[in-house]
Amino acid sequence: MADPKFPLTSTGAAMAVATSALRAQQARMRIIAENLANADSTSKTPGGNPYQRQIPVFQPQRLSNGIQGVQMTKVEPDKSDFKSEYDPSHPSADAKGYVKMPNVDPLVEAMDMREAQRAYEANLNVIETARAMQSRTLDLLRK
Amino acid sequence: MDINAIPLFSTLKSRLGYLSQRQTLISQNVANVNSPGFVGKDLKPFVIPDKNSTAGRLQLTGANAAAGPARTDPSHMQGMVSNTGSQGRPQTAPDSETRLDGNKVVLEEQMMKMTDARMNYDAAVTFYQKSLGLLRMAAKAPGR
Repeated sequence: MADPKFPLTSTGAAMAVATSALRAQQARMRIIAENLANADSTSKTPGGNPYQRQIPVFQPQRLSNGIQGVQMTKVEPDKSDFKSEYDPSHPSADAKGYVKMPNVDPLVEAMDMREAQRAYEANLNVIETARAMQSRTLDLLRK
Repeated sequence: MDINAIPLFSTLKSRLGYLSQRQTLISQNVANVNSPGFVGKDLKPFVIPDKNSTAGRLQLTGANAAAGPARTDPSHMQGMVSNTGSQGRPQTAPDSETRLDGNKVVLEEQMMKMTDARMNYDAAVTFYQKSLGLLRMAAKAPGR
């Protein structure tokens, strides 16, 4: 019988939450990879806008049994200005010879990537701890 | 025999429940470490029911033994406090730093809390095991 005051939330709840976070961080890594891959993607048409940096947005997400996980709810474009480079021979150069370059800063992306990695590791840690607690409880049966 | 009728066991049981609920909350905090505006949650420290009010406590049985309100007079109503007790309810517990996006979860502090919960859980389970051993010893025939 579950104690009414502290319902024995199974350690599975902790794992479900951590798993949703792992998934979200994976999705974030995908966005970062997209940004890095397109760091030099210019526009197809002369004078057009190049690749715009994408920003993943995370939000708490209620999972099925009332616990709160996380989800990457949307991906928003970075509104900051594009860099301009003078390169008249470039196919996407405008009339004055300037080419708009994406607003992706590889340094920022590298930082983001490291942050995602840390968050991922932290969530793996949570799963490991939940697992250890669960198996510690199961050890009661061994005696 | 209901093992929860023994106050020690029911206290340990609610302690284990408390710790696993705390673990779930910490996992929610860690999961939302990158959600803008998210403030972490935690439980109040676990308190063992007051020993001075044993008059009513000893009459309570089962899961209520460790968590119910003390009834010091027979005409007191039993009440449902144990269901809505503030101890078991998560409350916001911002960490020491707030980031620019309003997120108040510091990964390091959450890891500390998690280790703390895990160690306490281990301790409680060990204690539970020892107490069971005690019961077993009492139930054994002498000299065997």
